[in-house]
Amino acid sequence: MAEMSVIWLRVAAALYSLGLLHSILMLVRRREHLFRVALGAFGLGAVFHFVSIVDEGILSNRCPIANTYETLSMCAFLVAILHLFVQWRYKMASLSAFIFPLVFVMALMATLGNPVGAWTNPVVRNAWLTVHIVLVLLGFAALVVTAVASLLYLFQERELKNKKPRKFYYRLPALGALDDLISKSMGVGFVLMTLAVIAASTWAFIEHKTAWISQPDIAISFFTWGTYLVLVFLRTTAGWRGRKAAIMTVTVLGFSAITWVAHSRLGAILLRQ
Amino acid sequence: MKLFLTGVSHKTAPVEVRECLAFPEESLPKALKDLQACPGVTEAVILSTCNRVEITITTEDGVDPQATIDTFLTDHKAISPDTLVAHVYRHEGREAIHHLFRVAASLDSMVVGEPQILGQLKVAYTAAKETGAVCGWMDSLLTRAFNVAKRVRSETGIGQMAVSVSYAAVELARKIFGSLNGRTIMIVGAGKMSELAARHLRRSGATHVFVTNRTYDRAIEMAKLFQGTPVEYSRFVSMLPEVDILIASSGATEYILRKEDMHRVIAARRNKPAFLIDIAVPRNIDPGVNDLDNVFLYDIDDLQEVVNANLRERMKEADRAEELVSEEVERMMARLKVVEVTPTIVGLQEQLEGIRAAEVDKVKRKYGPFTQQQEEALEAATRAIINKVAHGPISELRVQAGKPEGVHSIALIKRVFHLQD
Repeated sequence: MAEMSVIWLRVAAALYSLGLLHSILMLVRRREHLFRVALGAFGLGAVFHFVSIVDEGILSNRCPIANTYETLSMCAFLVAILHLFVQWRYKMASLSAFIFPLVFVMALMATLGNPVGAWTNPVVRNAWLTVHIVLVLLGFAALVVTAVASLLYLFQERELKNKKPRKFYYRLPALGALDDLISKSMGVGFVLMTLAVIAASTWAFIEHKTAWISQPDIAISFFTWGTYLVLVFLRTTAGWRGRKAAIMTVTVLGFSAITWVAHSRLGAILLRQ
Repeated sequence: MKLFLTGVSHKTAPVEVRECLAFPEESLPKALKDLQACPGVTEAVILSTCNRVEITITTEDGVDPQATIDTFLTDHKAISPDTLVAHVYRHEGREAIHHLFRVAASLDSMVVGEPQILGQLKVAYTAAKETGAVCGWMDSLLTRAFNVAKRVRSETGIGQMAVSVSYAAVELARKIFGSLNGRTIMIVGAGKMSELAARHLRRSGATHVFVTNRTYDRAIEMAKLFQGTPVEYSRFVSMLPEVDILIASSGATEYILRKEDMHRVIAARRNKPAFLIDIAVPRNIDPGVNDLDNVFLYDIDDLQEVVNANLRERMKEADRAEELVSEEVERMMARLKVVEVTPTIVGLQEQLEGIRAAEVDKVKRKYGPFTQQQEEALEAATRAIINKVAHGPISELRVQAGKPEGVHSIALIKRVFHLQD
């Protein structure tokens, strides 16, 4: 990608990050005060994004979808435009909880197509990786809590539906309490996982240069984050609870476990350096 | 001293007998004074509730407590001695303590675990305390009974499960929503049970009540009872997305809420749970509604099933409570035994102190006069000696008092120190 085009794209990603912040606040604090500001920044980000694509197209004299990074950028831009249209036409604010983080992460990934210099200091490299690992582990712990609470919800729901109270009915907490725990742990887990993905992308970008995106373990990570995003979206917008939500949570936990196994060498890298 | 308890309860006497023996709260002070005036009675408590009348007394050793209470009852109540004998139960000593603890812990109640009995026992205790009928040993026994009751309630689940249909509805609502604060209720139709359930829910934190009825005036009237909002019958389904708990008890002969209606309602609620209580016969709500996710429908039989399950669960907890009560009775008995050896301990201390004082006098006469400092040193040294000598036998007396075979050891200690009975 041309240098100016990447700069415009970075500005766009910075503006999209306000959208991510809005989603985080909505999940963790259940507040939507930032929505108008985030939507405004999102719109402005789309303008810079457009400039970046046009700049890249003019300089390369072709439609800028020749490699993974350009395609990601184009895809993120189209999603952003479509979302702005939906907001203008239907005012579906809850959809933003899903779209804002998605567009931000896609734009961020697209900015990482141009190689930068190697690590200037191995301490910074290791600290960066440590932050990523800690964030992932905390996120995973929150996800485990979400999955366990979802299963308990399922058992208690079954007891209440069967109308013949057995041991579970008396021992398990109320559905409302479990629902609250699921919402909070899922929100916190998603925020931690998103920050971990951002930390990991930038680390991998510097470590592996432009080849980072073609690594299969990184693809698995993004896929897992995507399933988590879908879970959060279905929960916050469609109010998924009970059986469907429990299955989805356990699925996300399963993908997270696979991702963990795929990245088990990271700890060894840290110890080796 | 003897402890004696006698009385009738729902288990031993029909209501005709119980009502004959009942003591209204205002008559308790006089009855207690009369009872305490009986020869040999030192303390007395009268517990009178709709399910039981019990008299507990302590008497001096030479008195027949059974005859004393029988005379008191036949003098004060219009009941023949034969009827009394046929229905009363009597417990003495350890058995009386065990019974008192079981009553306080609500293990002997008609509905096991009900909380009222503890309050009623406290009323009886207060009346006895105010008239001076409880002033010594029985005071500590009753205080212990209250503690046992508290322990049973906190360490077992005996009082946690609802045993009435209307409370079962509230308990289910709590199991679904957690807290009921801010929840919205809708009552469809009129009926005592729906009114009672709504009242319990309101008291548990539900903030708003909608009331609907085919007769709008009746809805307005009932809404006033809950400071709620009347809703026209034709509009109630469209209001349901705002409602968390629906209580249906209308006289409609067909379903007033069908599965497809509720499907739309739950979609509009974005899958937030809804609790539907159908206490109408014939039923008001299509049973298929319960198949929908996040909808919990309970009809009158379902609620009764929950009550039955709760009662079974309470009985399981009651077994644990019985163990706790037995443990507490043992502790109480051990304390009583210690009280029994207290005169022996005091006697031993007095005897040793007498020996000490006599020996100190001898020393003063023979080697005195001493300075004040010397006298104080002499006193301190001799006291330290007798305290050390007494420590062993006193500890042993306390330990042996709690053991069934301890009588022999106590007698031996008495013989060794030449103590009188």
